[in-house]
Amino acid sequence: MAGKIVADTLEHSTAGSVDTQFVVNGSAKAWGHMNGSGTPAYGDSLNMASITDNGTGNYTQAFTSALANVSYSASGTNGDGSAQTGGAICNRSAVYATGSYGFTTTFTTGSTPAAYDPSDVSTSINGDLA
Amino acid sequence: MQTPSFQGTHLWDRLCWAKENLEPHQSDYRVVYEDSIDECAKILVPDPNWMAAALQGGILPPVQVYWELAKDEAQPGFKKHTRGYLLHNTKPVEAMTEEQALEYLIMKDCPQHVWREWDSGNKPKLVICKKEQLPATREWRNAWKISEELATDKTVAA
Repeated sequence: MAGKIVADTLEHSTAGSVDTQFVVNGSAKAWGHMNGSGTPAYGDSLNMASITDNGTGNYTQAFTSALANVSYSASGTNGDGSAQTGGAICNRSAVYATGSYGFTTTFTTGSTPAAYDPSDVSTSINGDLA
Repeated sequence: MQTPSFQGTHLWDRLCWAKENLEPHQSDYRVVYEDSIDECAKILVPDPNWMAAALQGGILPPVQVYWELAKDEAQPGFKKHTRGYLLHNTKPVEAMTEEQALEYLIMKDCPQHVWREWDSGNKPKLVICKKEQLPATREWRNAWKISEELATDKTVAA
């Protein structure tokens, strides 16, 4: 592949050095930004193959390059573009898989969380690739 | 643009190449399926960057590779993949049409019992449709089902 650099360490002239494994391990292995209202669709992404709309506020993202194990870290945000999104959260589903990540989106009104379809959903996956 | 010879290159690196060099393709197709009679219909939407890679060819591994990894993951006591090399070392598939890419994606991301027996019941368990054929709003989303009268109803999930 053109432009390939093989290095174990990056060294700055004064600030010190860093092992490139920190770069490899610390990079997001998959991420996606989608509109979850209407028919959900990715606006931009990396390493995603599809998004499945399972119902109100319930989604499954499928990866192209699978993760090595199910202990990967997932984070997400969601909102609807208003100032009312302080209680909106992404919840990881109970079923973990190396090839996909299921999650729900909820919005809390008062003390009651409820599933909802946000217009803006972002997720990021960190971990080891298979 | 010519796809570099990618066999043996990590799949993730190939996807990075595709993202940098290919125009995303937002498909108008949707896959509607039911994998449980107790649940509403699910709607699978292809990722635009994935679709671009599928149309380009020479990037994605054969879908059978994913089935092999799924078998490994289904084993009791699974800790981590030890055959990830299948993703990277297996000869990539050639360029697909959008329809072929959807078939690939169904076999990759839909439950096998759905697509293997999609027509075994009183109505299809799986339908490929255009985005416009889905309901325009998400009203009663958790009650959507595949229509039992597909031939006469343009709305396939309502």
